[in-house]
Amino acid sequence: MDIRESIRSYILAEFLPGEDPANLEDTTPLIASGILDSLATMRLVGFIEEEFSVEIGPHETDPEYIGTIDSIERLVRSKLDGAR
Amino acid sequence: MDFSLSSEQKALADSVARFARSELNHDVQSRDRDGRFPHDLWLKCGELGLLGLPVDASHGGSGLDALSTCIALEALGRGCRDSGLNFSICAHLLACVVPVWKHGSEQLKAKYLRQLCSGKLIAVNAMTEAHTGSDPFSMLSRAVPENGGFRINGTKTFSTNGPIADVAVFYAMTDRDKGYHGGVTSFLVDRHEHGFACGQKFAKMGLRTSPICELVFDDVWVPAANVIGHVGGGAGIFTESMEWERICLVACHLGVMQRLLEAAVGYARERRQGGQIIGKHQAVANRIANMKVRLEASRLLVYQAANKLGKKRSVGMDAAITKLFVSEALVETAQDALRTFGGYGFMEEYDVERAVRDAMGSVLYSGTSDLQRNIVASWLGL
Repeated sequence: MDIRESIRSYILAEFLPGEDPANLEDTTPLIASGILDSLATMRLVGFIEEEFSVEIGPHETDPEYIGTIDSIERLVRSKLDGAR
Repeated sequence: MDFSLSSEQKALADSVARFARSELNHDVQSRDRDGRFPHDLWLKCGELGLLGLPVDASHGGSGLDALSTCIALEALGRGCRDSGLNFSICAHLLACVVPVWKHGSEQLKAKYLRQLCSGKLIAVNAMTEAHTGSDPFSMLSRAVPENGGFRINGTKTFSTNGPIADVAVFYAMTDRDKGYHGGVTSFLVDRHEHGFACGQKFAKMGLRTSPICELVFDDVWVPAANVIGHVGGGAGIFTESMEWERICLVACHLGVMQRLLEAAVGYARERRQGGQIIGKHQAVANRIANMKVRLEASRLLVYQAANKLGKKRSVGMDAAITKLFVSEALVETAQDALRTFGGYGFMEEYDVERAVRDAMGSVLYSGTSDLQRNIVASWLGL
């Protein structure tokens, strides 16, 4: 499973149970729309760290980095690329 | 998992408990009655390294891992009968020193960390606001960039160590549009900055030797160098500091529960009613057995969570479970000690009544028991 799909599946399963997957787009604002509150954000960070073996810094929990599936994918990819 | 203490950890626990019993317990009743913070004892704790337990030695700390930090705090709780002093130590260490140590710039650490570890500087965590409580999304405090720094405004409440603090770890909104995640920044604010003042002081039910007040930040200018971590990174820093606090602060409770258990067993083996010691009455013995069960379960939770702290980023649920269980266990254990001592326990000259008063706050501070349940439920996807 690629990064984007893995993140999408987690968000749908954990924070949007019963939601039509088509409603969660790569650019859907996760924080501004209320899909992620403070606790959900920390859970998502935990998932990302464990799933992709990366470390997310405290300043990387803002919308610029985890505001959309697109931005999360960029964040994870940049860390994986940096580790190589 | 085997949590048998190493010889180094046993020596650490022994030395801290011995120090606490011999140095920290004189005059506890009158200190509590007067609400007097023992500044001389605070400095002794700093000399022993208690105020910088996990901080690396190069910055003046003791360089312990999280589990050993908990073992030292457990020994402090066991030896020191002044839970207010213990609470002030934990508030300073876990919610203030830890964020500076883990996220402060080298410049910030060089300026403050050694003095924070020695106790020369006392720190206060300035997060809670009167109308927001545990809801940081509604934070009203603001910080606006100005002249190479930030102009901050806000009023914080229930600030432990506030009346005696030299520096504050202050959280404020720097970007309202981003909200809590990305919009909150953490600052280290020096007490000497113009506009930083102590507001209303509060009298408390327990932990009376640990002073608490409202803090007012009125147009205080803070240099950019005093940002802890990155601008916008305050939410993650606060979350991490709460994980440290929820796991390590309650390690102190383990020591208190151990001390109360030993006192209850001692009293139950000595006090006679109906021609036998009261420990032979099943109702009393069962109550004391419950104290032991709670202590052992609590210790396992603390050690397990501490073992993850520092190794695994997301220990939010472990921290919430640990804080919830151990703080509730402390309250029940203090009340069981009181019931065991009966009328004598209600008298001030025994330590039990103070232990009950001191315990009650534990289900409120650092996130109430209700909030911890909310966190656990959230992690379960509810």
